Amino acid sequence: MSLEAHQTVPTPSASEAESAFKEWLRRLVRGTAELRAFDAGEIDAVMDPSSGNAILLHPARVALQRSSRLLLNAVDALPCEICVLDSDGTVVMTNQAWRAYVSAHAGRGLAVRDGLNVFAACSQVPPGERASAAAVAAGLRLVLNGKSELVRCEYVHGSPRGQRSFTLAIAGVRTDGSLHAILTREHVSEGASPRLAVRADRADAKRIPATGLADVPNRLLAALPSSQRARLLDGLESVTLHYGEVLNEPGEAIRHVHFPSDCLVSLLTVVEGHRALEVGLVGPEGLVGSRLALGLNTSPIRALVQGTGTALRMTAARFLQELQRNTELRAAVLRFADSLMGQISRTPACNRFHMIEARLARWLLMTRERMPSAQFRLTQEFLADMLGVRRVSVTSAAGALQRRKLIHYRRGIITILDQKGLEAASCSRYRHVRLAAMALT
Amino acid sequence: MARKRAKAHAAVPPVTTVVTLCLYIAGGAPNSVKAIANLEAICQRYLKGGYKLEVVDVCEHPLRALSDRVVVTPSLTKLSSGVPANVIGNLSDTGSVLAILGLCAAELP
Repeated sequence: MSLEAHQTVPTPSASEAESAFKEWLRRLVRGTAELRAFDAGEIDAVMDPSSGNAILLHPARVALQRSSRLLLNAVDALPCEICVLDSDGTVVMTNQAWRAYVSAHAGRGLAVRDGLNVFAACSQVPPGERASAAAVAAGLRLVLNGKSELVRCEYVHGSPRGQRSFTLAIAGVRTDGSLHAILTREHVSEGASPRLAVRADRADAKRIPATGLADVPNRLLAALPSSQRARLLDGLESVTLHYGEVLNEPGEAIRHVHFPSDCLVSLLTVVEGHRALEVGLVGPEGLVGSRLALGLNTSPIRALVQGTGTALRMTAARFLQELQRNTELRAAVLRFADSLMGQISRTPACNRFHMIEARLARWLLMTRERMPSAQFRLTQEFLADMLGVRRVSVTSAAGALQRRKLIHYRRGIITILDQKGLEAASCSRYRHVRLAAMALT
Repeated sequence: MARKRAKAHAAVPPVTTVVTLCLYIAGGAPNSVKAIANLEAICQRYLKGGYKLEVVDVCEHPLRALSDRVVVTPSLTKLSSGVPANVIGNLSDTGSVLAILGLCAAELP
């Protein structure tokens, strides 16, 4: 007998075991349907009345083990960092990305290893992380006590490249009667300056349900026909965005699109070794993530919240579906993307040829256009970052505009006193952008 | 008398029969996954909305399966209207499933 034949014929012991199993099954069952299904290989498990358990048949057991391994490999392959905690807050599983993070940030940013307890880790963080860690511990308790299904906490910690911040999402999952928590890191911002770090007081921040689109403040959504607008309601949720929060990092996949309601988002180019430079501004007239409509799912720029407020957001996958079936939405988003590209393309010329005073006036007008009030909070340091100049240059330019009684500036609060005068003082980029914005509506 | 009964019968509003089914499975094992997919396809095609389906995972609820006298999985049991009946296996035989549902494939659209 050849070796191949040996491999295909069951060994006597396997054959005997199968016969014995079938005999046992014959005694258990009343009819022949079960035996026929067994012979056809259509049975996964048999109930054992003596032990009260389900006995998985070998093929089913192998298939389940294989699917468990596949699941673990799939979790490992995900680029986002994932950590699973048991009901005591002890780490029971992590994925490859989380383990890589632990290796790179040992002792910082709640880099907890398998088997360690997150509550214990929160109480042993360096002094600079205590507020963030306390917020995480409070949020984790809410989830593990079953009082909240999802909590997001902001976390700020030191890193070799400066300040690092991220959002820690803690979701509860109930399996076999016990509650586990899944931790994922979102919106990781490496090297952000401390003043751009998100506040750590959002431990109890929860998703706010979208209440309706009848009075939606976002002008792009409001301009859609009511029938198409109503269909969007399902996929939109209202979120509060805080000053300094990063919605997208360069090169990262766009996970959500945001339709600002009463907040402002700056679009910044990040050049290694230099400060970020603002190239665009998005407010209630548009959305952040319009590149998805162009078939591009990553962002080349950083989207930074610079005016705290609310926005409606939708997952990227859902947004792509809506774009396919909602022609009005697609047209509106493409018009906005075109106007935004115009805004971004004029920036280099503006920075090269226009005086700082004119650029500051333009920036203040663009902000005013998108905010409900003529008074807003802006530090000189922030303005210097936005305009890509030194802080002293902003002081000088703001002083000049104030002397001309166009603005009032005191302790980070800017008030526009003379809109028309400021328009006259602004650079031509503002007029171009305004014309483009008017063409959208 | 017969006419009276006929009138009374006509006055009764039409009743939609809802079939209650219980499918016992073993987690994500191959035959169990197939059984769910096959049964859902059959129900959607032949019963439209007129059915209630409960899926019981015997790995999670073994005592429930034993008390319902289930010996092997996948196993489909009809709980309502008429004589209780069951089908064993991955439900790829549509005729057997329709038979316990009290339906005949030839009479259906």
